[in-house]
Amino acid sequence: MKLTDEEKKMLSGEYGEMVKKSMDILVTLGDIYGAKKMLKTNNVHSPGVSYRVTGDAGLNFVKEAAFKYNSCSKCSMTLNTIGIDYDKAEELGFSKEFTSKQRELLKAYEKIGALGTYSCTPYLIGNIPKFGEHVAWGESSAVAYVNSVMGARTNREGGPTALAAALTGRVPEYGYHLDENRLGDYLIKVETKLECDRDYGALGYYVGQIVGDKVPVFENIKDPTLENLKALSAALASSGAVALYHVKGVTPEAKINKNILKDDVEEIIFGEKEMGEVGRKFNKSGNVDMVLFGCPHASIEEIKKIAKLLKNKKIKSEIWVTTSKPVAELGERLGFNKTIRDSGAKIVTDTCPVLSETVRDYDLMLTNSAKMAHYAPGLWNLDTVLISMEKAIESAIDGYWGGDL
Amino acid sequence: MKLQGRCIVQGEVNGEALVTNDNISFMGTINPNTGVVIEKGHELEGECLKDKILVFPQSKGSTGGSYMLYDVVKNGVGPAGIINIMAESIVVIGAIVAELPMIDQIDIDQIKTGDYIFLNATEGTATIERRE
Repeated sequence: MKLTDEEKKMLSGEYGEMVKKSMDILVTLGDIYGAKKMLKTNNVHSPGVSYRVTGDAGLNFVKEAAFKYNSCSKCSMTLNTIGIDYDKAEELGFSKEFTSKQRELLKAYEKIGALGTYSCTPYLIGNIPKFGEHVAWGESSAVAYVNSVMGARTNREGGPTALAAALTGRVPEYGYHLDENRLGDYLIKVETKLECDRDYGALGYYVGQIVGDKVPVFENIKDPTLENLKALSAALASSGAVALYHVKGVTPEAKINKNILKDDVEEIIFGEKEMGEVGRKFNKSGNVDMVLFGCPHASIEEIKKIAKLLKNKKIKSEIWVTTSKPVAELGERLGFNKTIRDSGAKIVTDTCPVLSETVRDYDLMLTNSAKMAHYAPGLWNLDTVLISMEKAIESAIDGYWGGDL
Repeated sequence: MKLQGRCIVQGEVNGEALVTNDNISFMGTINPNTGVVIEKGHELEGECLKDKILVFPQSKGSTGGSYMLYDVVKNGVGPAGIINIMAESIVVIGAIVAELPMIDQIDIDQIKTGDYIFLNATEGTATIERRE
């Protein structure tokens, strides 16, 4: 790979051991994927911020960068979802040991200069890259969203490369940074009506399984909301490793480029039958222990809708609404949070059941998120049901789900 | 039988193959403290990765997987090496940091669970000895 004089200095150790190590990781990765040079970046969204993800290995990696090598981020750097609610760790039952390790990790990131956003939806709380901007993002759902819906450019960065990008201000030029890799590999013909976030999640889950890390292009999706696309992004990157998709007539690159598909692509039909397949995978009747909304973190519109559905109701099952701190603050001011709390439901910030310590011994969880339905069974040792927000709330009020999708 | 692929992370290691046609997310598929596969319905559910040459198509899912691969290796319950069809960035990043020998561009249908593998990642080769 061709490096500039400045990049060569970084690699030779002139700017210290950690910058050298960072550049070394980026060059190694770039060489594997045939990058010809480095690109400058000034925007990082770092995954690997929950102690559940880093473990002691990652914790020590970040602590060393922060305190041994006094590393400093050259970029604007937001942080992904963490393992605790920063303000209510004890109240939610997270252990002292886990909480203390989590706080150690956050101190290290803060020392490096990162912003403590603690959210998987940085694009809802101020990290909004420009169209075409080269960024270094992790968090699988946010990667798919920022590439596809916003038209910025990133590969799927892991914690170590997001940190390396922050400390060097560079990413290797390969993959989704290049025009030729942003064309569609599959055409997805949607032949059923998508009525809510749950349906978009089911679509993403079905397609992600088939396309893996390739680029799907969706046809016949009408006027999706931000929340619909957030759900689609998260699902595609759970069953698969999708970093980029296009929706004809909706997402920016599909609007600009009429030939968004490669030649001779495979077609996939998503109709009633396929929707039903995903529905059956995530369905089991029984007493409902928990309902989860906000995967990825809820937008203010979702909080508003949940408040409307829970108004003057009392729930028998536990409900968590997970969201970012800024969105929760707005929900507080607008009175939505009080309505939600009065029903018995909880607003949980900064974390979610995928990235937190498992603190409940539950059997059945309902959610409108395909991502959560996918991860929770392994991580929390329970069954999940993928259903609409309305049905999930009705079931939480009854404390029971009958299984009729 | 000797298969030629591409070096991802250098190193030489031997071990028993653990093979799956399902993709793996090190965040969500694996318990990093035990090395056991916890994803419900995964072909390898209940299997332990410790000291195995892990053979799978490619990584999927959470970008937290890079640190979790590093963690499972540091905890002494991770795989000894990795063989993929096509290396996806999340597992590559984890393998680089964990210094875990890894190759890709291998036809994994040629390998069966229980085969003994001499993995020379530096040269990009896997030599397979069938042990029935």
